[in-house]
Amino acid sequence: MSTKRVWLVVCLVLVVSAAMLLMGCQRNQYPRRTDRTNTLYVGVVQASFPSAFMPWLSREGIAPTIASMLYSTLFSYDDETGRFLPNLAREWYYVDSQGRPIVTESGDIDYDRLETEGVKTLVNPQNRRTEQYLTVRIELDSRARWSDGQPVTADDVYYTLDIARNNYLANHAGALAWTADLLHLYSNSGELQLQGIFTYNHGAAEQGYVIDAAEQDQVVYLHVRGVLGAVTSLYTTVLILPQHVWEPVVSRESQLNSRSPDERMQSLYHNPVGSGPYVLDAAESGPSQIVLRRNDLYHLTKDDASPLYAVETIRLILYQELNVAIYAVMQGHIDMLDAGLSPNYVRLFEGRDDLFVSVAEGIYTQSLVFNVNPVASEQTPMRGLLASKSVRQAIALAIDPEMLIRLVANGAAAPMSAGLIPESLSDFYNPSADILGGEQAAKLQQANQLLDQILPEKDEQGYRLLDGERVSFSILGHPGEIELISFLEIQLQKVGIEIRYQAKGSSPETTYLWTSRFDMTIQGVIFSLANVDIMLNAHFVARGRTSNYGRLVEPQLAADIEEMRSTLNLHRKYELLYNLQPVIAELYYKVPLYSSEIVSIARTDRYSGYEVTPGATVFSTTNLQQIRLIDSGADSVASCSGGSAVVSVAAVAEEE
Amino acid sequence: MKRSYVIKRILYAVFIFFVVLTLNFFIPRLGVRDPAERYYPPQGAMSEIEYEIIKQFTREQYGFDVSTFQQYIRYVQGLARLDLGTSLRSGSPKVTALIGERLPWTLVLSVTTLIISLVIGLLFGTLAAWKRGRWQDTTLLNASTVSVALPSFFIALMLSFYLGFELELFPAYTNPNMVAQFDWSWEAIQVVLNNAALPIMSMALGGIVGYSQSTRNSVIAVTNEDFVITARAKGLSHTTVLYKHILRNAMLPLATSIGMSISGLIGGAIIIEQVFNWQGMGTLFLEANSTNDYPLMMGIMLFLSAFAILANLITELFYVILDPRVTVGDKR
Repeated sequence: MSTKRVWLVVCLVLVVSAAMLLMGCQRNQYPRRTDRTNTLYVGVVQASFPSAFMPWLSREGIAPTIASMLYSTLFSYDDETGRFLPNLAREWYYVDSQGRPIVTESGDIDYDRLETEGVKTLVNPQNRRTEQYLTVRIELDSRARWSDGQPVTADDVYYTLDIARNNYLANHAGALAWTADLLHLYSNSGELQLQGIFTYNHGAAEQGYVIDAAEQDQVVYLHVRGVLGAVTSLYTTVLILPQHVWEPVVSRESQLNSRSPDERMQSLYHNPVGSGPYVLDAAESGPSQIVLRRNDLYHLTKDDASPLYAVETIRLILYQELNVAIYAVMQGHIDMLDAGLSPNYVRLFEGRDDLFVSVAEGIYTQSLVFNVNPVASEQTPMRGLLASKSVRQAIALAIDPEMLIRLVANGAAAPMSAGLIPESLSDFYNPSADILGGEQAAKLQQANQLLDQILPEKDEQGYRLLDGERVSFSILGHPGEIELISFLEIQLQKVGIEIRYQAKGSSPETTYLWTSRFDMTIQGVIFSLANVDIMLNAHFVARGRTSNYGRLVEPQLAADIEEMRSTLNLHRKYELLYNLQPVIAELYYKVPLYSSEIVSIARTDRYSGYEVTPGATVFSTTNLQQIRLIDSGADSVASCSGGSAVVSVAAVAEEE
Repeated sequence: MKRSYVIKRILYAVFIFFVVLTLNFFIPRLGVRDPAERYYPPQGAMSEIEYEIIKQFTREQYGFDVSTFQQYIRYVQGLARLDLGTSLRSGSPKVTALIGERLPWTLVLSVTTLIISLVIGLLFGTLAAWKRGRWQDTTLLNASTVSVALPSFFIALMLSFYLGFELELFPAYTNPNMVAQFDWSWEAIQVVLNNAALPIMSMALGGIVGYSQSTRNSVIAVTNEDFVITARAKGLSHTTVLYKHILRNAMLPLATSIGMSISGLIGGAIIIEQVFNWQGMGTLFLEANSTNDYPLMMGIMLFLSAFAILANLITELFYVILDPRVTVGDKR
C-alpha cells in the first residue's frame, strides 16, 4: 500500500471516530425531564428484568413485585394490624359443620369457638392418618375483572389452587409449598385423592356447603390444616390465574412451568392477562425497560371512587450499577430508586431538598449463626467448641450491639431481641427474651468468666488456646459483610477469640451451609406474623436442607414449634410464640446483631405525598397509592441545564 | 503455506475445543449429589412425598433422569445441532437465542473499540518511536503508566459521571429503548452511536495506550536492524524508510497482539457493559451468574471458548502468510 493510501485510511478512521464521538456530544434529553404525563420513572438495580410474566415463575429481584402488580391475591396482609385486607376477595371466615360463620358479634373470628365448633376430622389418604381441619368460606368481590374484561370467578380460584396442588399440570415447588396446608391432595399418578376446594361448580353441594345461585361465582370453600399460617400463604401469596386463559393451554404434555413451553404458552408469558392494578405494555417493554399502565378495570378504588393507584404509567428502568442509578435519581433522570441503599449514602443526599430520603424500619435481622452440629466429616475440635452453649453465650455477650449499630450500620439500624421477634409484633412479643442488653463492660466480664472456665490458657497475644492451638473461627460472609466481620473480629479479640473472614461464594447453601463446611455465618432472618409458622420451623428444626444451617437439634423446641404450627387456637398459638422466644434466646444459636433500616430515595419535583413504609423502599404499594403528580405545569418540571441543579419544589410537596 | 501445518493447527484447535466442552460439561456437575435439589431446595411445609415428586419432575425436565455419560452424549448431540440448551430464566428461552440477541451489541462496542484503538495506537506508537526521547515519547510512557494503574471500570465510572451526568456531553448510560426500538434507520444508528460513545471511550483508552506502547517498542527494535541502516545508507527518504522498511516489519509482533485482542472481543467488556447498562454478552454473563443459571453460563463459556479458539487459529494461519518462517519448526 502506498504512503498516501495509508494516510487516507488513517484519516478516514479518525474522521469516523471523531464523527461518532461528536454525534454522542449532543445535549441529552432524558424523557422524564420533559414528560408532563402521569408517568413514574423508577430505577431498578439488578442484573436483568424478567423475560416472562407468568406470576409463579417470577422469583428473582423485581419479578415478584411486577407479578403482584399484574395479578392479584385473594387478600393482602396488613402487618401492623395482622388483618387481611380485601383484594380479589372481600371477606372470609371459618364456618362450623352447619356452615355457620364462627365470628364474634363484632364480626371478628371467634377463635375460642373455632376450636370447639370448627374442627373436623378426616383420614388423609396419602398416609392413612387422621387429620384435623377447618373450613374457610371466602367471598370474592363481584367487581373484580381480568384485564381482558372477563369477571374473576370462584372457578378461577378453584383452577388456580387445584393446579398448584397438581404436579402433573404444574411442576412448581413454590406453588406446592404455598398450598401445603390446603387439604386438596393428588396421588402420585395425578389423580385427585382428596378434594379440599369447593365451589358451586365443584362439589360444594355434595359436601353440604350451600351456595345460592346468585353468589355461585363468588363463593369458595377451602379445607385447611391450621389457623393463621395455613391461610396466610393461600390468601396473600398465591396469585390467582384466569382459568379461561390458562386451561386451554396447560395440559400434562404442556405443563405450567415447563422447560420447553410451546408457542401458546410463550405468548401467555409475554402477554399476561391479570387482575392486578396495572397491565403490561408489552410493545414498549424490553430487556432494559418495563412499562406498566394502570388497569382501568381494576376493581378496588378509593372511598371517593377515584382509582386506588394515582400513577397512570410506571416505567421501570434497569440499572446494573448502583452508583449510576443513584446519580440518575440525583440528576433527575428518574423519580425514584427501588433499591435499599447503604446508610453511607445518606451523607450524599444531605442538603438536597429535591430528594425524599426514606429511612424505614427494617424487617430482617442480621444474625450470627453458629455451626453447632456439623456432619461427622466436617467435625473439628474448634467446631466442637461451638456445641457448647457457654462458648456461644460468651461470644454473644462479647458483641457490643450499640457500637455495632453506630460504626457498622452508621446508626441506621435498631437492636433486636435475642428472641428474634420484633417488638412491633405486639400480640406475642416477649420482652423477657431480650437477654443481650445491659452494660457492655459487665457483659464482657461475664463472657470472659464463662470462657475462663472452658479455655483458661492463652497465648502470648492474649488469644485462648485449645489443646495448644489458638481458638480461631472463620465467619462465612459475602464481600458486603467484611466491615461487619472485621468489627466482630475486634470485639471477639477482647475475649481471646480470633475471627477471620471466609468468602461465601455464589452458592453458599450447597457449597458450605448445607454441607456443614463453616464455623459461623452471617444470616438475615425475618420473622413476621405471616411467616412464623413456616420460618420458625425452617430456622430451628433440623429438616434436611433448610435455613437451620447449624443443624440445631432441640427436640423440645421442635415439639413446641410443631404445636405452635398445628394448633387451631389462635390464642394458644400466640401463647406458644410468646413462650418460644426466651427458649430461642437462651440457645444462643442465632445471635441477633442488628435490624438494618432501609434507606431509599425519591425525587420530589414531580410527585409528592411520599410516606415512609416499614420494611419497604419508597417504591411500595403504600406510596403508589399515596403519591400524586404535582400539577404545576412547566415550572415544576426539572430543568436540564447542564444536568446539575434541578428546580426544587420540595416546598410545594411539604405544603401538601 | 504448508498444508500439513494448516491441518495440524486445525486438528489441534478441534482437540482443544473438545477438551473445553468436556470440562464445561463435567465441572458444574462435580460434587452435586442431586441436581434436582439444587434447582428446587425443599420449601416451606412441603411433604417428603411431594418433594420427591417434584424432584423427579425436575430431573426429567432438565434431563438428569439418565446417567451422566448419557447426558454428555445428549449434550454433544445438541451442540452438533448448535443447541446450547435452555436457560433457567422464566419463559425458558434457548441459550443460542439469548446469545444471538446480545452478541451484535457487544460486537458494536468491541469491534469499534478495536479499530479505533488499533489505528490511533499505531499512529501514536510510530510517532513516539520516531520521536524517541522527546515529549511525544515521554507522554506515551507516562500515559502507559497511568493506564496500567487505572482499572477500566474506574475510567468508565469517571467518564459516566463527568462527561455523562455532570457535563451531559454523552449519555451517562444506555438509553433503555435503544435495543427495542432499533430498526436500521439512520436515526436508530445515531442513537446507537450516541450511546456507544462513552463505553467505547472507556475501552479504547487502554487499547490505544497498549497498541501505542507495543508499536513503539516494535518500531524501535526494527529501527536498529541492519537492513534499516542499509536503507538509510542508500539515501532513501525518512518516509520511505519508515513505511517501507520499518513499519512493515514492525507489524509482525503486532499481528499476535491483534489476534489476542480478537479472541477477547466478546468476553472482554463485562464491567464496561455493566457500568453503562449495555445489553451485551458481558451483562448476559453477569445475569447468568447472579441467578445461578448454569445452562446459560455453560453456553456462554463454551461460545467464548469456541470464539477464542477460532480467533487463535485464524491468527496462527494468518501469521504464516505474514511470516513463512513460523512453519520452519514443523516436522517434515
